[in-house]
Amino acid sequence: MTTDELEKLLAEQPVSRLHRLAHGRVYRHFRLGKRRLIETLLRCTPEQRSGLESDLQALIQEESGTQQPARERQKPAISRTGRSEWSPAKPASPVEPEPAESPADLTAFLEGIGVPEPKPFVPDAWQEEALEALAVTDVVVSVPTGSGKTYVAIEATKRAIEAEETVIYTSPLKALSNTKFTEFSRLFGADQVGILTGDRRDNAQAPLLIMTTEILRNLLYDAAGGEIDVRLDTLGLVIMDESQYIADPERGVVWEETIVFCPTQARLLLLSASIGNPQDIADWLTSIRPTPCHLIRHHRRSVPLRAGYLHPSGKLTPLFRSVGIPRAPHSPLHPEAKRLFAQYEEETLRPGSR
Amino acid sequence: MPPSIHPVDLIGALRHKHLTPAIVFLTSRRACDDAMQAFQRSQTNLPPARQQAIASVLGQLVEQYPSIAEHPLLPVVQRVGVAAHHAGHLPSWKIAIEELMRQGCLDAVFATTTLAAGVDFPARTVVVTQSSVRKTRDFTDLTIGEIQQLAGRAGRRGKDLVGFAVVTPSPYIDLGVITKGLTGQPEPIDSQFVISYPMVLNLLKAHPLDQIQAILARSFAQFQLNRRAEQLECKLDQLHVQMEPYGPRVCTDWITQWQVFDHARKQKASRVHTRQAGGTRLAGPGRREPPELAARLHFLTPGRVIGLSKGRGVVLRQYRSKGQRSPTVTVLRPGGAVTECPAASVTQIFDRIFEVEETPAYPWCTGQSLDSLTHQVSELPVRMPVLPILVQEEPEESEIVQTLTDEFPCPTCPSRPACQKDHAAALRLRQEVHRNQKTIQALHTGLWHRFQKRAEVLQQRGYLTPTCRLTDVGEWARLIRIDHSLLITELIRADAFSGAEPQILAAIMASIAHDDDRPGAFPRMSQGLASLLGQVRQLAESLAPDEDPPLLRADVAALTERWIGDPTLTWIGLCRVTTMAEGDIYRLLARTLEYLSQVYQLRETHPGLADTASKAIKVLRRGVLEELP
Repeated sequence: MTTDELEKLLAEQPVSRLHRLAHGRVYRHFRLGKRRLIETLLRCTPEQRSGLESDLQALIQEESGTQQPARERQKPAISRTGRSEWSPAKPASPVEPEPAESPADLTAFLEGIGVPEPKPFVPDAWQEEALEALAVTDVVVSVPTGSGKTYVAIEATKRAIEAEETVIYTSPLKALSNTKFTEFSRLFGADQVGILTGDRRDNAQAPLLIMTTEILRNLLYDAAGGEIDVRLDTLGLVIMDESQYIADPERGVVWEETIVFCPTQARLLLLSASIGNPQDIADWLTSIRPTPCHLIRHHRRSVPLRAGYLHPSGKLTPLFRSVGIPRAPHSPLHPEAKRLFAQYEEETLRPGSR
Repeated sequence: MPPSIHPVDLIGALRHKHLTPAIVFLTSRRACDDAMQAFQRSQTNLPPARQQAIASVLGQLVEQYPSIAEHPLLPVVQRVGVAAHHAGHLPSWKIAIEELMRQGCLDAVFATTTLAAGVDFPARTVVVTQSSVRKTRDFTDLTIGEIQQLAGRAGRRGKDLVGFAVVTPSPYIDLGVITKGLTGQPEPIDSQFVISYPMVLNLLKAHPLDQIQAILARSFAQFQLNRRAEQLECKLDQLHVQMEPYGPRVCTDWITQWQVFDHARKQKASRVHTRQAGGTRLAGPGRREPPELAARLHFLTPGRVIGLSKGRGVVLRQYRSKGQRSPTVTVLRPGGAVTECPAASVTQIFDRIFEVEETPAYPWCTGQSLDSLTHQVSELPVRMPVLPILVQEEPEESEIVQTLTDEFPCPTCPSRPACQKDHAAALRLRQEVHRNQKTIQALHTGLWHRFQKRAEVLQQRGYLTPTCRLTDVGEWARLIRIDHSLLITELIRADAFSGAEPQILAAIMASIAHDDDRPGAFPRMSQGLASLLGQVRQLAESLAPDEDPPLLRADVAALTERWIGDPTLTWIGLCRVTTMAEGDIYRLLARTLEYLSQVYQLRETHPGLADTASKAIKVLRRGVLEELP
């Protein structure tokens, strides 16, 4: 192919294809327009020329073979070494094997995606433990997000309502209060659930009251000042969701006030995401409350989590050497993820490129 | 290589690998909106059956929350099955997206990391594109707890066998922070206890003063302080053990004796040294300056305006490098030149200091403060007050000699050699013990002192009697339990709102409540509001030593005035007069509502004001603001 022919062929290509061709060949190609892209591509040395031509042909063939534009774009460009990482005309099978350096890794990584068999719900041991302890004392639960704290809250509420006690459920955000209000109304029936906000009280005599922590704090202050507002004497259970908010610089103090002034006959259930020192919180509660506090903490997730690395070219690799997420700091990264990220950093974070 | 993956490609890749539904955490609202725009332009449509599923869920939601129907993103969400979810949206819209996500209708949601706690819906995959988050002014790395909170959204119980946390690079990413966050143990949390004015009033309402310290001691803050104090006490015990050999000797307080003696001896030694160096008092390793200069050195601090033999300048730093005999100052001269001159050449020290943010390297301050300083130096007034500097005379030779001979009884003492050998170590230990004792004391009484300080302010302003009982004013002021409570109660006491229209009261509350400095363009306000806001600003400034003043933005006040002043104004109409995001306007009005309902609590003591507040609340709560409880 002569230079003129190649130039003509390049000019016929859509600019996106030129970018893919230029990827790895032209520094910061994404900044260039079509004309300058062609100019820079033509400036390559004779040795690079043949690789350029064959890659161009491969690209033209590959893209004329597929129809779906979304699928097309995600396919990575030819890598620097000129070797194609993606076999061009692959039939769109549900899980496409990755013909890269670590095929076994990626399949193992993606293995097992799917919906579990529906089976009757069996509470975890820790959930049972929490409920048992809650019958007699305060409980602090610090477990990973999404491992079933809500179940404990619902079950505890159910038992308290059966014992004709008032339950107060607090959340840090009004939006979360609203979500919980809808959820609990569905579960317990609309007449059993009330919500208190700064300026509105819906069904304030219901056995289960949902409010933000600030509102509960105000109620407790009013009660301490002698103006009893809600039936605090029948209060049996206070559930504080997202209680890691106690470390919030602006609002954390409200959680402390609420816990300090919480009536002694009511049990406290503190639900928190994983934090580093739940034992401290439990010790603190033990020191100020009539009964010793029971702490439940673990790091197991009910649905296992895996970490992946998605390169801007669309290539997915596991992030760590192991399939799951290792539980030790400084765990080794997957070599491919490491290589791709190093390449990314080199290309985008070069001094002056930003 | 583009700096980050295109959102359409990202979702394409996830779909291809069966990793949807996914939550994609992006840096900013802007990024989320851009991603949605990219989808708007793209041609990737969902199959009709799924589009219909979304439409039917949305149909149900619209009945409950009519504002969703008008949302501009509605058709796109339905067509491509992807949505954005961030603080700029109305709560009803966010609820709709959460519901769609819970029912599994959507493939992806773009959300901001800032509101990770508010994102209460799970997905199969979580995509993380950044390792830092904007907090108040600058970016801080995500904590381990935050990253685990983000990643925790991956994997739906009962719907997924595995969850995925996918990292994709962007210019805002540090892979180390993320891997540490995924693998590490979450940080311990610390108490953030602060004592506020309403807390003091409410505590004193319910409990007598002598019980307060015990109540404060029950806080988590005190619990953690006690922990630290315990550690220090252990250390203190160790120090006491080390101190044992240095107990009383011939004289009980031999350590102090030797401290005094040592000091006097050092002074004498340096004086002798200066003599030997030959007349010039500036020379020698003792580095002694004439008293005039020594006194001046204290004032040659960064930011100080000084006069030199020629012209004037601002001190950037004072230093004394090894090779130099005399102290030197780095001076910024008018015109921006940075020069070094000996401190002795400073002719005048003016009574004027500018703000300087110091840095450890040339030009010894941040570029910003250098610019402002250069500007300020060139605009100095011709005459400036000169700082009178009191020169402290050095103690005379004879005094030192006297200390050495008269007050030092050791020459004949039998334990003198032992004391001489030990006194340095003993002194160091003793200082350490004192320091620890002081810290422990502070840890035990810190909260109480902070409470007392607050109570003192309340006493001065007449909320508390000298015996710390609530006055009549305090009785109603304790019902205002929000930020900036002191400003609000002082405004009420100054009768600032007497005769004010509901919209004016609401507007003022909005400007006090709004603590976000996100910019936007806003409508003009009325004359009455402007003058009242001026008064509020003045009062807030005068309260500044006791309470941090709020932002008091005029534009948000004007926006609230519009909404309440014109009951026919629709939500869309309100959004049209400002560039503020819908969600921000909603939050502003919701917070205003909260403040107004606090004012309404005063209906027994201030019926007129409470009436105005309730009128404002009634008008304020309409349209979108009525949808949620």
